[in-house]
Amino acid sequence: MGTDRELLDALRRGDDKAWEETFRRLYPCAFAAAKHPLASLTPTEAEDVAIEALTLLLPKVNQVAEFDELRLLVVTIASRKAISEKRRQLADKRGGGDLTSLDALQDDETIRFEPAEQIAGRLNVTDLRDLSRLLDAALSGLEPRHADLLRDFLVHHLSYKELSEKYDMPVGSVGVNLARSLEKIRTQLKAAPKLWKELVSFLR
Amino acid sequence: MDADSFNDLALRVIAGEATDTERQALEAELSAHPERRDEFDQVKITHEVLRTTAPMTEAARATEPELPAYRLNELRTAVRQHFGPAAQRSGMGKASSAWLQAFRWIFAGGGLTALTLLLVFLNLSNRTVEVGIYRTDLMRNGDASLSAQDVPSAKLMTFDQDTPFDQWQSQPLAWYERAKIWVDNEHDLLHVVRRVDYGRISVETQPLAPTDEGQREQIKRVVESLQK
Repeated sequence: MGTDRELLDALRRGDDKAWEETFRRLYPCAFAAAKHPLASLTPTEAEDVAIEALTLLLPKVNQVAEFDELRLLVVTIASRKAISEKRRQLADKRGGGDLTSLDALQDDETIRFEPAEQIAGRLNVTDLRDLSRLLDAALSGLEPRHADLLRDFLVHHLSYKELSEKYDMPVGSVGVNLARSLEKIRTQLKAAPKLWKELVSFLR
Repeated sequence: MDADSFNDLALRVIAGEATDTERQALEAELSAHPERRDEFDQVKITHEVLRTTAPMTEAARATEPELPAYRLNELRTAVRQHFGPAAQRSGMGKASSAWLQAFRWIFAGGGLTALTLLLVFLNLSNRTVEVGIYRTDLMRNGDASLSAQDVPSAKLMTFDQDTPFDQWQSQPLAWYERAKIWVDNEHDLLHVVRRVDYGRISVETQPLAPTDEGQREQIKRVVESLQK
């Protein structure tokens, strides 16, 4: 297949080879999105979610203007499905009479999924693209070590203890560094007030 | 508490990394300085937004793992289900599809025409009933003889000689004929050759009425029964 434009045209025609190539190209993104740390699905569950997300691209192919939008689209779909799946699992666990359900109820574990579900559910391809650019710009403005520390905290959801061990840094310093870096990122995000306002509105 | 310490404490609490003492310290700070509530909310929102979206932006750059080969068929099936069979989708498939559509219409039209013709054919065919009779019988019997008015739905075939009459009798029914009947005065029989179910030909005879008038009525009845 030639250019992305040609590939997108072939996808719209329902070309088998084009779709196969697209599935191969986008599967890593779909799988990574399905492995969203908030969802913490098993690899098998994440694989199922990723495959489902890829099939959901079929009816959307006429709605995208360029091939790369499919990449962002599959990421939003897979993330959303993964987080919803985790929430469903937790709900089943509660409803299933599990002895830990009382503990779960007390902790109200599902509450922590609500903001994530709201954001993942409403974030569109354009938002994700803009956010990605802003984050890249913001992280590149940090010291590489601090950027890596923040990335591991936000992307991989490593705990302070894990970060402390990985970066050979006292837990107290981890906290201070994260808080400062996060503040810088927030300043950067606020430089795009429309996007920021939209993201904040997703939480309400 | 300076801004750095406050942000650090707020983030610890939000991220679930704080001890009970640290949580109490934050509550105390917020109670003493309610204006910091907004600051706390900002940290919380930033944390919520980024912990959800940062993994997504990172996922968009992922290059592994490879698509498992055993899941490929599932995806191919989804493509087929969405777009239909491959033959209908390829470039040639599109052209063929157009031709196929045209041929469909042509065949449908042709079929319809053939059906119409068949119906016309069926209507026109298999309807004629021929009644064979010697001309001399008509002349001899006068008013009592059979006339075309007696059997308006039948075709009266008159013969002057035996040979053509015999030939007519022995000829199989033509495609347009339903039946033919003739009087056999030599044996006092009425012969009825008719087409029955599925094109089968039936040859029947019945005793001829003794009088000319009776024969006329008998032929009329047979013709009428054959027309039903």
